[in-house]
Amino acid sequence: MYSWIFRHLPGPRQVRIPLAVLLALAVVAILLFLVFPLVESYLPATSVTVGD
Amino acid sequence: MAAGTPGEGKEPGSSLSAPASPADLAGADRGEVDARGELDGLDSLDDLMGGPDPRNPPVAAVPAQGLAPAYGPARARGRGYAAPELPAADPLRDRTVRSLGGHLARGAGELMITCGVIVVLFLCYQLWITDIFAARTQDQIRHDLTTAWAQHAVPKPARGGGADPRKRPSVPPVELGDGIAVLRVPRFGTDYAPVVVEGVSTADLRRGPGHFPGSAMPGEIGNFVVSGHRTTYGKPFSRVDELKVGDPIVVEVADRYFTYRVTRSEIVDPHRLDVTYPVPGHLGEAPTKARMTLTTCHPRFSAKSRLIVFAELDETRDKSDGPPPELTGG
Repeated sequence: MYSWIFRHLPGPRQVRIPLAVLLALAVVAILLFLVFPLVESYLPATSVTVGD
Repeated sequence: MAAGTPGEGKEPGSSLSAPASPADLAGADRGEVDARGELDGLDSLDDLMGGPDPRNPPVAAVPAQGLAPAYGPARARGRGYAAPELPAADPLRDRTVRSLGGHLARGAGELMITCGVIVVLFLCYQLWITDIFAARTQDQIRHDLTTAWAQHAVPKPARGGGADPRKRPSVPPVELGDGIAVLRVPRFGTDYAPVVVEGVSTADLRRGPGHFPGSAMPGEIGNFVVSGHRTTYGKPFSRVDELKVGDPIVVEVADRYFTYRVTRSEIVDPHRLDVTYPVPGHLGEAPTKARMTLTTCHPRFSAKSRLIVFAELDETRDKSDGPPPELTGG
C-alpha cells in the first residue's frame, strides 16, 4: 500500500520524499481536526454530565 | 506382461518389485479394479520399456527428489541431472506463489500497523492535543470575559445599587458557550482558574467547565451546577476527587467573589439527574440556600459513574473589597 503510493508519487526521489511527508502530515491533520473530534463524541469516556 | 518380461530378465531386483506390487494387490483385493490396475501398470511399463535402461534412473530419481532435502545435497549433486532440475522448476513456482501471498501478507500487515498508529495517535490526541486546543480556547474565552467585565462592571453596580446585593444578578444573559465566571480552587493551586462557560453540550464542554443551563447562576439561591472534563480538553476537573469537606471554591464574576465550601461528595450513576435539582435530591422543593454542584466522570477515563461534589455558599464579597483571603493565602 505505502510502496504503491510512493511509486505513484510524481517526480524523482528528492521530490517524492517531501511529498510523502506532506501527505502523511495531511492525513494526521485530517484525523486530528476532523475525524477524532467527530469520533470522540460517540465514545462514552468524555461524558461528565448527569441525565439521560 | 510380454513387454515386462525382458525388463525383468535384465534387471530382476528393481523391476520385479515395481510390477509385483500392483499384481499382488490385484490378486489380494478385487478383480475389476485389478484389471484396470494391471492395464495401467502395463501401459506405464510399456512406456517405460521403451528404454529399459532409462527406466532405472527415473525410478531412482523419484526417491532422489524426495530424499534430497532430507539427506542432504550430496546425493543430488552426485547424480548430476537431478540437481539442476530442482532449482530450475521450483523457485519459479514459489516466486509466483510468494508474490501473491506476499502482497496479501504485506497489505494486511501495513493495514494493521496503520490501525495501530491511528489508535496511538487518537490516544495522544485525547491525552495531550485536546489540552492544547482547550488551553487556546480558554485563553480566548478568558480574554472575552475580562473584556466584557471591564466594559460592564461600572454600569452594573450603578443599576442595581439600591437593590439587595444578593438579589442582583451575577451574570448577564449570555449565549451558549460564552464564559460566565472564573473558578478558583486554592487546593488545586494558584494557577487554577478555568473559565466556566454556559451550556453542557459536547461543544460547550470542550471550551471549559459548563454551567448546566437553567440551574442557578453563581451566588443565586438554588443550585449552581457545573460539569467539567476530568480527562481531555484541559481536564479542569481532574483533581475534583481531592476536594475535602470545608475546602473553598471561589467563583469570580464581574463584580463579586462567591466563596462556596465543600459539604460532601458522592459517586452516583450517570442518570442521577436529581443531583442538579435546586435542592439536590429533592424534586420540587423550594431552595433556601445557594448551593454549588460539580459533576465529572468517575473513575478517570471512564463513563461508568459520576463524581459529584456539593458545596454551599459561605461568603459573598464585592470586588472593591479585594479578593477573598482564601485566594490571597490569608
